[in-house]
Amino acid sequence: MTALLELDGLTRHFGGLTAVDEVTTHVGQGELVGLIGPNGAGKTTLFNLISGFTRPSSGAVRFKGEEITGLPPHQVAHRGMSRTFQNLRVFPNMTVFDNISVGALGALGVGAFQSVIGGRKRSHEISERSWEMLERVGLNEQANDLAANLSYGKRKYLEIARALAMEPDLLILDEPAAGMNHSETAELSQFITELNSEGLTIMLVEHDMSLVMGICERVVVLASGRKIADDTPVEVRQNQAVLDAYLGGDDE
Amino acid sequence: MSKQLLTKVGMVVLLFVVVPAVLMAFDRGYFYQIATIAAVFVLLAASLHLVTGVAGLLHLGHAAFYGIGAYVAALLGSELEIGFTLGLPAAGLAAAFVAFLVALPTMRLISIYFAVATLAIGQMLYLIFLNWVSVTKGPNGVLLFSGIDFFGFDIESEIGIYYVVTAIMALSVVVLYRLTNSYYGNALRSLREDDQCAAAMGINVTVLKMQAFVISAFFAGLAGALWAYTTGYISPNDFNFSQSILVLAMVVVGGLGSLPGAVIGALLLILLPEVLRDVGDTRNIFVGLVMFGAILFLPKGLFGEVSALRFARRILGSGWSGSADNREVGWE
Ligand SMILES: Nc1ncnc2c1ncn2[C@@H]1O[C@H](COP(=O)(O)OP(=O)(O)OP(=O)(O)O)[C@@H](O)[C@H]1O
Ligand SMILES: [Mg+2]
Repeated sequence: MTALLELDGLTRHFGGLTAVDEVTTHVGQGELVGLIGPNGAGKTTLFNLISGFTRPSSGAVRFKGEEITGLPPHQVAHRGMSRTFQNLRVFPNMTVFDNISVGALGALGVGAFQSVIGGRKRSHEISERSWEMLERVGLNEQANDLAANLSYGKRKYLEIARALAMEPDLLILDEPAAGMNHSETAELSQFITELNSEGLTIMLVEHDMSLVMGICERVVVLASGRKIADDTPVEVRQNQAVLDAYLGGDDE
Repeated sequence: MSKQLLTKVGMVVLLFVVVPAVLMAFDRGYFYQIATIAAVFVLLAASLHLVTGVAGLLHLGHAAFYGIGAYVAALLGSELEIGFTLGLPAAGLAAAFVAFLVALPTMRLISIYFAVATLAIGQMLYLIFLNWVSVTKGPNGVLLFSGIDFFGFDIESEIGIYYVVTAIMALSVVVLYRLTNSYYGNALRSLREDDQCAAAMGINVTVLKMQAFVISAFFAGLAGALWAYTTGYISPNDFNFSQSILVLAMVVVGGLGSLPGAVIGALLLILLPEVLRDVGDTRNIFVGLVMFGAILFLPKGLFGEVSALRFARRILGSGWSGSADNREVGWE
């Protein structure tokens, strides 16, 4: 079976800095893969390379067997990849429901013409899918509240629900537990495991090892842009290179 | 009758029965003139609302597209004897076409850079109206003697003109209402909120921004044709920078992102100076004070976006209520 996502020698320079350095790895269908590394290791840059937000200096990204290197973000999204952002990005002046609907309408498509006449069927499809995701993350009571008025934790779930409304084949989450306390993190890992057990392939960045170690089958470790480990959590925990990278990291 | 139907019928009755009855009761040319100017500016504000209020692109050259529509309609009418029936769509399409051409290089610009680019486009078109004398007649402007021929009917009475102008304005506003209050509107709003994030959801940001810009120019072009046919005379100064700013002020005072807000803003800034006519030249100070006060005390506008969307969903029945608890959310 070919992997869902394959990265081949992916590299990105920013001036003199090599943020991502020759990273080669893959994510198989149905896997839950963690990506960890100290501050500035290049995790977000790697996600940006995968999702089309940053062009690689060299190397290739293949998704479902098709080369997607250099495609713009919306085209990558259309192929079934959906992401969240490290610094939590919801649409603050739109309602919770309307936020989620953007994921659904982005995947299903809407046109100016059909919004004026005859687009009822598509609208219902978008509405139903959005409502389903809204219930799934338990935000139905706040459907008509502005996203800006939600608590931080709920906004995190809103962002995930919006990404899920695209019904992606691969979901990539950039530090979903950032800023959450212990019980919130536990609840979130429960949710992520549940999504994965339903068959969704997930790639998860975490700065902090604990969440990833608890739920991922496989962990990729980056340090200074380079992949230094790619193994099961148990192995990674004992890997000397990983221990060195984390101990040598500036704020660990 | 349901609440939703009642509201819609009420609006139609107001526009097509009550206002005409009042106009006929007074039967003064001046009142008819104010009514048609108000209709033209409602359409201008409603079209700018789509691009600036909904899609969040600060557009400082809207009056230029209004001007293109006016010149195309007036020149077709006076030079080529192509009347209103064809002149009206031609005016809209010409404005949309020019918008499309200038949008190609402009749409990747963001925030203040986009605003300055549209300002430059507006000035450029204004200078063309002013200086391309062989076509536009330059500062002398264009006289248009022909009346409105509407599919073979010659509309000459003032009340007839009111009906034609109002009907076209109303139809256009309905289209803009659908574009705003639909999932297409949600896509446009997501651009305003965070266009990178919208791209991650699969939205083609550049194409969508261009659509909003071109559609908005189309309706500004229609407004231009209505203006040319109702005043019978146009000149470059009808379409200068201060007109763009006036329309922008209508949209902001009414409430950015709110279609009813744009309509209310337009009516306020057209009717208020007329109501204050007896006050004399100081009336502009009053108008300025009202605008200033509105922005200070109601920064979200007289009829803000949140209320406008709720109004569309609940009162006008555009919301989807297929969920288990039958709440109006999303769009029908
Ligand atoms: N657009 C950019 N221009 C220049 N340098 C950049 C850019 N984006 C990232 N970098 C640099 O690349 C390196 C990797 O950054 P990146 O954000 O990918 O790290 P990260 O692993 O996500 O870190 P964190 O845990 O803090 O989120 C950093 O040194 C960063 O300063
Ligand atoms: Mg990061």
